[in-house]
Amino acid sequence: MLKTALLVSFVLIVALGGGAGSVWLALESTRTIGSVEIGPWVAFPKLGTHEADPYSRARSARTGGLSLGQAEGIVLVAGTDSMGRPLRRECSYRIEGDLPPARFFTLHATDEARRFLKAPARFSSARHSQNLLWRPAQPLRITVSPQSHPENWIATTGRGPMHLSLTLVDTPISTGARVGETIMPMIKRIGCDD
Amino acid sequence: MIKPLRLLFLGLFGAAAVHIAIVFLLPAYSERDAWSELASKGGLYTTVRLGQGSAEGVLGEKDNPFFERAACRFDLADGMARVTSSETVPFWSFSIYDREGFNVFNVSDRSASDGKLDALIVTPAQLLELRKGMPEALQTSLIAETELEEGMIVVRSFLPDESWRGIVDRFFARMRCEAY
Repeated sequence: MLKTALLVSFVLIVALGGGAGSVWLALESTRTIGSVEIGPWVAFPKLGTHEADPYSRARSARTGGLSLGQAEGIVLVAGTDSMGRPLRRECSYRIEGDLPPARFFTLHATDEARRFLKAPARFSSARHSQNLLWRPAQPLRITVSPQSHPENWIATTGRGPMHLSLTLVDTPISTGARVGETIMPMIKRIGCDD
Repeated sequence: MIKPLRLLFLGLFGAAAVHIAIVFLLPAYSERDAWSELASKGGLYTTVRLGQGSAEGVLGEKDNPFFERAACRFDLADGMARVTSSETVPFWSFSIYDREGFNVFNVSDRSASDGKLDALIVTPAQLLELRKGMPEALQTSLIAETELEEGMIVVRSFLPDESWRGIVDRFFARMRCEAY
């Protein structure tokens, strides 16, 4: 009798734990079904539309919010650098490279729940293409760091995981099927505070 | 030897069933419902600024520090819905969402004839009616055709820096969402 109860509870624990755990894993990791990856950048082109797969639907139900339409723009989120190491607030990164064509773009640091990370005092933890410094014939170059940096600097503070959220507004890549063939900037780690 | 293996197999089979059930039931049981939050803020055709102090939950969240948003709900059973604003901003776009929060139509100011926000949301039947004789006032309106009856529209505007706040605030203050 006791043995049967134990066996039944074992099966139930495996079923419930395994089922719930695998869903949690599938929804928490940034790279899963329905995503398009370009280097460290991950986008969900179908998020929030009726064409979205069940996982995307479940994800948008959890994170909520009203997703950006394809004619409006596309959001690319990076949770790691180009080497695959998770992004951290205490580390410095250089974002460098070419971007797909867009009317303009915005870049800001967020926490794991996609909430905007505010910069200390009068510094800025968000940039858009019109308040960046551009050099002739040079691609985009932004430093994300807790220490001050000349030229384009996104200020971070504190410790813990971080995501970078890049919104390309009015871009042909959000509507095209070939999102995966686009060139995106690299994220290089240049050092960490201890 | 066979028995523990069979039990494990049974457990994994159950896990797969639980996995599928959770994935499909999550949207139905989610409490993050933009439609009902918007309904608690105001009636149909009431413009609500999102991401501001007064809004909580899904509506209170700012997904991008450079975007200001406002939303209103419409019901096409009452007739066509029209969204306008007399102020011009550097960028605006809007999306139409159904009651479940799915994006069904979206457009940016590139599609507008004179850069002003002036959109008409119609059902296919209303569009047919409209084609018979376009009123003078609607000649330059953007026409968004949707199968929806009830829905919500979210207008987004770019805020390059704080010096633009006055203009962007005026854009939303002058935003009119009405049955037409």
